Amino acid sequence: MEDYKFLFKVVLVGNAGVGKTCLVRRFTQGLFPPGQGATIGVDFMIKTVEVDGEKVKLQIWDTAGQERFRSITQSYYRSAHALILVYDISCQPTFDCLPDWLREIEEYANNKVLRILVGNKTDREDREIPRHIGEDFAQRHGMYFLETSAKEAENVERLFMEIAVELMEQAKCKELPKYDGSLGPINGKTTSVGDSSCCLRS
Amino acid sequence: MSLALLLEEYDVSTEEGLAKALSEIEKEEAEVDEALSSALLRACDLEGRLRTASQAYSRLGEIRNDAHSASDMVDKTAALAKDVSAKVRQLDLARSRVAECQRRVHDLIDLQLCSAGVEAAIKAHDYETGAGHVARFLSMDPGSVAAARARGAPDPRHAMTRAADTLREHLVRKFEEAARKDDAENVERLFKLFPQIGRAEEGVDLLAKYIAAQVSAGCARVLRDLERARPLDPGNPKRAPASALAAEPVLVELAKAHNTILLYFAFLRRNVQMDGVDEKTKQTNQEAIEKIIAESGLMRTAQDLLGHYLKLERYFLEENVNKALKMATPQAGSTTSNLVDDIFFIARKSIRRSVTTGSVEGVCAVLNEAGALVERGAAALRRWLRPAPEPVRWPLPPNVAPAPALALAAPALPRLYKDADAQRELFLAHMNEAESGAEWSERLAAEACEWGSSLSGGEGARERLISCAGGLAGAAGAYRAALELAQSALRAALAPPAHAWAARLAAPARADPPEELEEDADALPQALDVLVEDLRASLSPRCADHVLTGLLNDLADTTEARILQNHYDMPAPGRVGGQLRPGGARTHRATEAGRRPPSAGAAAPRRARAAARTRPGHTGAQVTTPSS
Ligand SMILES: Nc1nc2c(ncn2[C@@H]2O[C@H](COP(=O)(O)OP(=O)(O)OP(=O)(O)O)[C@@H](O)[C@H]2O)c(=O)[nH]1
Ligand SMILES: [Mg+2]
Repeated sequence: MEDYKFLFKVVLVGNAGVGKTCLVRRFTQGLFPPGQGATIGVDFMIKTVEVDGEKVKLQIWDTAGQERFRSITQSYYRSAHALILVYDISCQPTFDCLPDWLREIEEYANNKVLRILVGNKTDREDREIPRHIGEDFAQRHGMYFLETSAKEAENVERLFMEIAVELMEQAKCKELPKYDGSLGPINGKTTSVGDSSCCLRS
Repeated sequence: MSLALLLEEYDVSTEEGLAKALSEIEKEEAEVDEALSSALLRACDLEGRLRTASQAYSRLGEIRNDAHSASDMVDKTAALAKDVSAKVRQLDLARSRVAECQRRVHDLIDLQLCSAGVEAAIKAHDYETGAGHVARFLSMDPGSVAAARARGAPDPRHAMTRAADTLREHLVRKFEEAARKDDAENVERLFKLFPQIGRAEEGVDLLAKYIAAQVSAGCARVLRDLERARPLDPGNPKRAPASALAAEPVLVELAKAHNTILLYFAFLRRNVQMDGVDEKTKQTNQEAIEKIIAESGLMRTAQDLLGHYLKLERYFLEENVNKALKMATPQAGSTTSNLVDDIFFIARKSIRRSVTTGSVEGVCAVLNEAGALVERGAAALRRWLRPAPEPVRWPLPPNVAPAPALALAAPALPRLYKDADAQRELFLAHMNEAESGAEWSERLAAEACEWGSSLSGGEGARERLISCAGGLAGAAGAYRAALELAQSALRAALAPPAHAWAARLAAPARADPPEELEEDADALPQALDVLVEDLRASLSPRCADHVLTGLLNDLADTTEARILQNHYDMPAPGRVGGQLRPGGARTHRATEAGRRPPSAGAAAPRRARAAARTRPGHTGAQVTTPSS
């Protein structure tokens, strides 16, 4: 069995073309893929990071933004420990869709899920959404906020590392976890995937 | 030695010298005589040899004459042989010419037969024979035909070509007919004849057209399915299915249609791989076909189908689980529950169906949905297991008034039932359900991995499947939590008798008569038997064992605490020990018995539970009847 103490599921959502896949690949593979095609359904990547000397395994689910994959992607919300909602700072419509995305999250995700709003593509000259507008939106909806550039590797590492740190803190607060019936996002889950999955033993 | 020398050497003047010379002369004479006689002997021998030589010489002359005549003969023979071999060569040539002649004659005969044969075969619808004739014609030596023409015969090729053309027309017409009728067997049979009549390309074109038509017919069916399914939109009240039941046949169709498209894509990929080309071309072809597939309208259709299927499958799961929850909601007097069986039956059905979509993507999404719903079952059980039940029967020690202790112990939670027995039984039934829910979650997850392992889903498909199945297996934690909650509730509810027994066991002094004390020693074992029987009657062996162990630990702890608090007089320790010993023995026996292997536990929760229910007869044997 792999050596890690925590396993967290992180799910990225947001309109098609905002750069979700690029963010994930920048973080997991350290590159900016040229000619990145649209994601079909969901993609799945893993990266193990270290927080305070402890191994944390991040299981990252990169969902397709296109409408026709919605019923597939929705099924992944529930088990997410963190949800990253991405828009493109140079594309107003991707920002305008955020309320729709929040409704989806509300409906399908666990209400304790860690939510992060990300404005991507800060390297672009043609910014349409000022930083403070994004920040305001995030604040109003109780989300963390960060602006990134997958292309220039700006804030990408920080985004995922802060998520890891935050989730680990949450998990530690709930040490001695007693199942509380509300599908707490972290307790029980960290062990469930690592220990009790019968498939993993095969 | 000459005489002069001899005379010089010897002194012939003396008699002695003379005598010496004489003897020397005599010696010489003897030697000469001897040499003479040997020479004479050789003369004889030489004579004989000379004779032989002269004879041989005369024979040699004869031989020379013979050799001369032999050499003449050889020369003559050689000339003759040369002559013969030239004749043989001529003969060979003649024979091969005859063979060729024969072949041409055969060809010419066949040619006539062929054109006639093709016509006959066409008439008899025996296209195989017809094509065989044409194949024969095509394999013929062009020389034969030319030769026939050179002799002034009418060019036989005209008739043959005409016949071949007629056959081709027939084949094409028949092929198209078979294709129209979707008669795959004949399509294949006819397709194989085209290469024989030298029209392989045309055959391939026809087959391609046929397959294309088939695919588009398949698409049309898929679209029809889509149209049929589309009115069923759970999100739209006007088009919502009448019931989860109504959604089922559509779900089956949608999954099948999706799978059909995937199979077609797999077929295309396979065909590209099969072509006998080099690696590089293969790679290019592979990429080209992937691009074609990815950008095809059919791929879009498949994605739409899967999306629609999932939406409807989620609806199916939700509706059915809602129904199961509603039916299982405790009613006054109900003592059994089927919630877990129902929920897992539904979940299993959906997961199985998702496998028939042919895609890991679909299985993963349904696993996610099923995981969520299965956890709702655990949450419901948790809710129902929260109110502590009336305690299972653990008789109080003799002379202890039950009322105040029990009133104190009963948690001040709203009572759902009037009937305490029914309530207790339902509580225990729910405990069993929580236990089998945990088992089912893990088992179903393992099954899903197995079912899905045969599906191809690109790289990382297996990891995704395992992760999503892990989510479902994780629901086991929720069920176990509910079970633990119930177990501690049960222990809490049984705290009053435990305390009463502890107090009695550790009592420092009692003025009871000895025979009463004797009876007293049996009281705890008997009370425990009642409890064991009660638990075993309703709980699975493992569950009952767990509760019992907990209770007995509680009892031991409380008693120990009491003993440490109390003050004892001299005879007390002996008496306390006497009371504890049989209790301890019984305790041991009870937990040992509980450790019997659970019958078919993990394999079939429903049966395991039924088995647990039929246990009382079994455990009854443990009860020791009072000797009074
Ligand atoms: N300038 C700039 N371009 C970016 C950045 N991130 C992504 N892109 C470009 O945006 C396009 C879409 O990126 P993807 O990562 O495929 O977008 P996505 O959100 O995964 O899209 P879907 O999979 O369809 O939901 C690509 O052409 C990327 O090159 C960025 O930080 N800066
Ligand atoms: Mg993408």
